[in-house]
Amino acid sequence: MIKTEKVLHLKSSRGRKVRVVRELYLREQVACGSALCQAGCENDGKLLSGDVTHYVVPDAGVVRDFLEILEFRELCGIVFTQTACQAAQHARGRRHYNRLRGLLKDPRHDCVLFANEFQQYSYCPREKGETQEQWHTRCVYHAAVWYYNHLAGLTPVVMITEDQNTIKTCSSLNSGVYVISTNEYLESFWPDLQAARELYASIAQTLQERESEGVEKEYPEHLPADVLEAGIKSGRYIQGMLNVNKHRAQNEAFVRFEGSTNKNTELNSDVLISGMKHRNRAIQGDSVAVELLPRSEWKGRTTALAAGQGEERAGEDAQSQLMPTGRVVGILQRNWRDYVVTFPPREELQSQSRNSQKILVIPWDYRIPKIRISTQQAETLQDHRVIVRVDSWESTSLYPSGHSVRVLGKAGELETEIQTILLENSIHVAPFSEAQLREMSLNSKEHPWQVDPAEVSSRRDLRDTHLVFSIDPLGCEDVDDTLSIRTLPGGKHLELGVHIADVTHFVKEGSLTDLEARSRATTYYLADRRYDMLPAVLSADLCSLLRRVDRYAMSVLWELDAESLAVCNVWYGRTLIHSSYQLHYELAQSLLNGEGPEVPELAQLESSEQDRKLAELLHALETLTRVARHLRAQRDWGGALELEGVEVRAQLDKDKNIVALVPKEPLEVHETVAECMIYANHWVARKIQERFPHQALLRHHPPPKQEFFNQLIDSAKSRGFTIDTRCLCLSYAHLCCNRLLRMMATQAMSNALYFSTGSCPEEEYYHYGLALDRYTHFTSPIRRYADIIVHRLLMAALQSEKEDCLHKTLASNKELEEMAQQINNKNRAAQHIQKQSIELFQYLYFRDKDPLTDERCVADAIIYTIRANGMLVFIPQYSLKGAVYLKNREGQVVSIEDEGRCTWQAGTLQRHPDRISTCTTAGTHIFHLFDHVTVRISVEPSRCHANSLSLELISNRPHAAARSESRPTGRGHSELVQEVVRREEASQQAVQEKKRPKLSREDREFRQSKKPNLYSLLQEISELALLDSSELNSFQNPKYSIFS
Amino acid sequence: MAGLELLSDQGYRLDGRKASELRKVQARMGVFGQADGSAYMEQGNTKALAVVYGPHEVRGSRSKSLHDRAVINCQYSMATFSTAERKRRPHGDRKSSEMSLHLKQTFEAAVLTQLYPRSQIDIYVKILQSDGGNYSACVNAATLALVDAGIPMRDYVCACTAGFAEGTALADLCHAEETGGGTALSLALLPRSQSIALVQMDARLHQDHLDTLMEAAMEACKGLSKVLDSVVRQHLQEVSVLSRD
Repeated sequence: MIKTEKVLHLKSSRGRKVRVVRELYLREQVACGSALCQAGCENDGKLLSGDVTHYVVPDAGVVRDFLEILEFRELCGIVFTQTACQAAQHARGRRHYNRLRGLLKDPRHDCVLFANEFQQYSYCPREKGETQEQWHTRCVYHAAVWYYNHLAGLTPVVMITEDQNTIKTCSSLNSGVYVISTNEYLESFWPDLQAARELYASIAQTLQERESEGVEKEYPEHLPADVLEAGIKSGRYIQGMLNVNKHRAQNEAFVRFEGSTNKNTELNSDVLISGMKHRNRAIQGDSVAVELLPRSEWKGRTTALAAGQGEERAGEDAQSQLMPTGRVVGILQRNWRDYVVTFPPREELQSQSRNSQKILVIPWDYRIPKIRISTQQAETLQDHRVIVRVDSWESTSLYPSGHSVRVLGKAGELETEIQTILLENSIHVAPFSEAQLREMSLNSKEHPWQVDPAEVSSRRDLRDTHLVFSIDPLGCEDVDDTLSIRTLPGGKHLELGVHIADVTHFVKEGSLTDLEARSRATTYYLADRRYDMLPAVLSADLCSLLRRVDRYAMSVLWELDAESLAVCNVWYGRTLIHSSYQLHYELAQSLLNGEGPEVPELAQLESSEQDRKLAELLHALETLTRVARHLRAQRDWGGALELEGVEVRAQLDKDKNIVALVPKEPLEVHETVAECMIYANHWVARKIQERFPHQALLRHHPPPKQEFFNQLIDSAKSRGFTIDTRCLCLSYAHLCCNRLLRMMATQAMSNALYFSTGSCPEEEYYHYGLALDRYTHFTSPIRRYADIIVHRLLMAALQSEKEDCLHKTLASNKELEEMAQQINNKNRAAQHIQKQSIELFQYLYFRDKDPLTDERCVADAIIYTIRANGMLVFIPQYSLKGAVYLKNREGQVVSIEDEGRCTWQAGTLQRHPDRISTCTTAGTHIFHLFDHVTVRISVEPSRCHANSLSLELISNRPHAAARSESRPTGRGHSELVQEVVRREEASQQAVQEKKRPKLSREDREFRQSKKPNLYSLLQEISELALLDSSELNSFQNPKYSIFS
Repeated sequence: MAGLELLSDQGYRLDGRKASELRKVQARMGVFGQADGSAYMEQGNTKALAVVYGPHEVRGSRSKSLHDRAVINCQYSMATFSTAERKRRPHGDRKSSEMSLHLKQTFEAAVLTQLYPRSQIDIYVKILQSDGGNYSACVNAATLALVDAGIPMRDYVCACTAGFAEGTALADLCHAEETGGGTALSLALLPRSQSIALVQMDARLHQDHLDTLMEAAMEACKGLSKVLDSVVRQHLQEVSVLSRD
């Protein structure tokens, strides 16, 4: 090694220039990271493939400004130099650098980092009078030359730079090393990559125009980072995440504290940031530092419903009590993502484009301010949705500036809107790549998949000894859990078994499939489709525990005392099972009820054999039910919540008919299966937590805060109930009211979350909803990545017990916690997309209906919250929630005439906690909470945002049809989805038929069969509902409880 | 604040070393004629000068003298020009007196003091340029100076620092690594007997990592001892060539 010195000039903490001398050690052996290496470099980890036509070395400026282009997966053979990376980090900050690091780590991208500054022959010291940029470029060029020579000229090396001088001087210095500009590179090497070139043009234009910016200050400057840090430590500033009020994006934003370190007791609530000026360029989701304003400038939260979009109605708004108000003084961490935007309408466009090429585009998300981009395509992209990335927000600019990335499609089309929803929630679901699919084992007719004999010997074989069966919704493809129960010889002990699909056997840690699954984290369910976490060959076939085939499983077997049902012994491990029955819930329940239904698995057998087998199965089911009842009772005793079950029970006591009407309501067997799964999860959680006290992935559910329940308590009081939040039980017989109350209770709860045991004190492991001290997710590895992690942890725990030492290092607490956070975020996003896609379908359903004539647009609604100028209602028929205004924009209020008809008249509104009254010349009318009213549903189209539905009050009586129509409420939704899909298909078909007027009948049929059919839709919805009831995920998503 | 990346994904540190590599060590003995022993030491860009006087009678009050062994007196100082910003450093500030005390403790463990009852050994060390690992440079320089003075010791005393970044122990920290957050542990070792003369750490570290950190520091010390040994031998050769003439 050779020691040299590098002289840097840095700024000291007092702002003086300081000369710093740093050492630099150079060596001959620096890993080059190429598969073509002839010199025998010690390359470990990622390698550049050898079969590319050339290697490309981007210079520091390109990495700094055009990293997004290098992110295209099509571009391969990229060598990032250390010089370029560090320069990019220095210029663009940590976030940019982390993105680059992610790129380098991702095995799907063909790129490596070359530490050129530590290589003896590629390093060049900075010369006197040389600017930093020149030096960087020279370093990169030297690195490129070295790389070419190191690989003995096997592959030409292309250096791309934006510096014209370098291109001139260096391009002819060495043969084999080409120096060209980025644009030229894209054009000559990747002529097919249209998207990359468009992106290049858009970034380049943005960069150019940034230089010619005005200097007028629109916002105060942000404070420097060290001042912020000191201020936060001393308590002068408050650190938190900015959350913009969706309905008043212009005015209201809140900052929620991170952590509970704040000692200032009066600041328990959020801090209000009022107006754009005080928000000071912070965007939704940014981590900001806030300074509190003096108490005299504090404001209250607005309680009135916002009428219309973008309407400013400051001043007259009714405001609640004052809350801490502050202003943003600095931004600690930007949290920008890609935004979907729409171009403004043509007339606005013309007035805007006069002053420059810049166009203000409107983001789909209300909470994001308009973004200024420069493009020439504004005319052609009129009604399209476009993805835009924000680059910067200078204090001189009223709006942030960005550049366009990709066009999604025409607004209003189903595909575009679904893509929009996915993108707005930062979910990327590209189809599985070939490389990923190549990893999978095959199972086709020619090569049927078979059990590996080596695996048979290492696993416990349960194929002949245990009666294994699964109970799932009808038509379920991915069976990830099966059950077994038997009496052990001697009759004193029972053995309960839960067998879970062994996904980790097929998905090795670090494989491409694993990485993809980790980034997806869960299977996404939308109203009309789903995006699987694992490729179909695994999820529907090899991992799925189908009947009458041998499958690998992870099992938990409990030995229970036959009388007291106390646990005597637990066994965990890998097994081989052979499921005998694939039951569905209704079948299992009717078996239990003794209704003697046909079991398809037994149809071919002789009747005596059939009877024997049936008796055996029935016995197993009955024992299982008994065990589950016992487990449930144990948990109930511990204080488990029961938000789902009550409705049915209350109904059962009162009126048997309703059960018959609502077949989707939980059966006891649902609960039985769920209970077994909860039990398995619980025991696995105990095991891994015990073995790895600092790095086990568990799931906890913090107890709810009392104040969140206030609204619920108020509401319930208005109907004459009291709710004790410590032992929450809601048993009100009225169906809809009960449902609403449960919904509100659900909203008041905090979410259950994954966490790593090392990062949380032991008291907080508790799962409030299930009343268990340890809980995790183990039973659905096909759908959830958390379960895969838990499977691996469990295997590691078993192995370490056996051999007393760990073979491989597990993920550390920090890594696991990061992973848990990522899964939590993805789960939240998954719920959002589900909700939004359902809203989208609701909109599409009503879009073509004329609200005045169509009967379906009039529905019964229940009031569930009172606001200053209206109320929020719930429509059971369509499972829809929305706002109803009692005061219109002219200041008129609703008055009730004969027969309950409503008209607008001048008058006043008066609001009470549990009722709202309108006063007009015609008289006074009072709306109570939980009153039934009739509303008309109409569509409120919106160019740029998600379309919404608006509700209008037409009568204060319950809707007449609603009472006579006794159809189950849960169905309204699926019918709605079905109709929208059908219509979309029809329109597509019409388009296609125009193109190809003659289609053979078979062809048409074939195409139709590819579309998602209604049955599978229904299936998914009911599956969701079940999933939910089984473990109170319903806390996370109120929608679940509405649809179940 | 965007902290520095102490260990890159490729396993390089800020200055191009790998995790367990030491900085370049250079040393010279017998740099001053007037003192009984002296040495100059460079560890990377940290440069230290050590001078030893004694053993001699106890100066000042006699009451300090010990009847069964020698008193070791250490004084540590930093040159005003040793850091990037010039700074006056008066004697006896807290940092340097602490460092003096640490040095004293280290050498009391290594020098065979019982051979010189009622006498005193003075060790003066000065940091000429500071770039991390001041304590270890001082210890190493003082060891060489003691050898030069011919004072019997149990073994060389070798000192080195070690830090912890991204789950890996880093040997011999430079200034940027010391200040860049994370832990720094200094360790003085008598390499042949593997006994630790002094270990000091003033930051938080998880107990599980302490062993790996100590291990790394001890490895580094052993590496240093080889360098010191070769320096002493080379010096001896030079001196003997001179005296033969």
